[in-house]
Amino acid sequence: MVKLRARCIVVGDSAVGKSALSQMFRSDGAHFQRNYSMTAGVELLVKSVNIPDSSDSVELFIFDSAGKETFAEPCEKLWGQPSVLCLVFDLTSEASFRNCGRWLERVRTNSQGQQVPGVLVGNKSDLSSRREVEKAVAQNWAQSQGLEYHETSAKETENCEAPFVSLAQAFYSMYQDRIQVIHSLA
Amino acid sequence: MIDAALSSSGTQIVLASSSDENYPPENILNGNTETFWISTGMFPQEVIVRFRSLVKIALVTMHSYNVKTLKIEKNTLNDTLEFEPVAEKEFECTEGHLQTNSFSLPGTGVTHLRFIITAGYDHFVSVHRVTVDGAQE
Repeated sequence: MVKLRARCIVVGDSAVGKSALSQMFRSDGAHFQRNYSMTAGVELLVKSVNIPDSSDSVELFIFDSAGKETFAEPCEKLWGQPSVLCLVFDLTSEASFRNCGRWLERVRTNSQGQQVPGVLVGNKSDLSSRREVEKAVAQNWAQSQGLEYHETSAKETENCEAPFVSLAQAFYSMYQDRIQVIHSLA
Repeated sequence: MIDAALSSSGTQIVLASSSDENYPPENILNGNTETFWISTGMFPQEVIVRFRSLVKIALVTMHSYNVKTLKIEKNTLNDTLEFEPVAEKEFECTEGHLQTNSFSLPGTGVTHLRFIITAGYDHFVSVHRVTVDGAQE
């Protein structure tokens, strides 16, 4: 039995729903923040994800960080060495999707050449009439960047677990790979 | 001179910040570089080693993989409440083979050594063996 620990940073433009998504996942859908309150720094949430067919788990230390430009730069210092990345945009805001490239760039600058498994999350899927980003477009871009794509609605508790579970799985696979590599050295 | 960091000479691990039961921290003290302790995510990571009695150290050597920065602290107490720094080093990245790094600490008396890994070249780092050349009092 092993419990891994991963530093999961959640980034993306402001008001796309990073905090709502993180908190819905953390509370198993019990806590949806109705009123918007801007995250000015970094909020830390911790949750364990069990790995199916094993007695192992991954404890995610979720660093929900400010999306607003003014606060974003100081936040980067708090990311430390990220283990996994959750990049969020708002399906009803094309601008928030276009900015994803810049967020990814930022994270890569901070990860010092290390492989960082990531997901791209299109949030607010409940607002289907206001959708500005097509699923196929987002999916293609995610694929080109090596990210796994998920659509969620934090408001409707739709699919909120999937991105985090997939990050935990990816981190766990990476751990098993590394053990194989280290065994081969000796 | 003896290798004081062998479990067969009564040396123990009193704390490790990561534990995978398949790769226990005791693997560091069994004199075999084929077995190892692996960190299970995030930094810093640390291991505290307790000697049976006070050891006068000459040289500490660590065999590891993907460790980037290591700090060594020591104390001469019976407990692990306080430590003082003795060495810090940035290791070179060695892809495909183990890192071997030595610290010359002539005449340092210790009952505990604390190894703190503050950064790695990968998410997971392993420590295969620590040897402590010294004289047990």
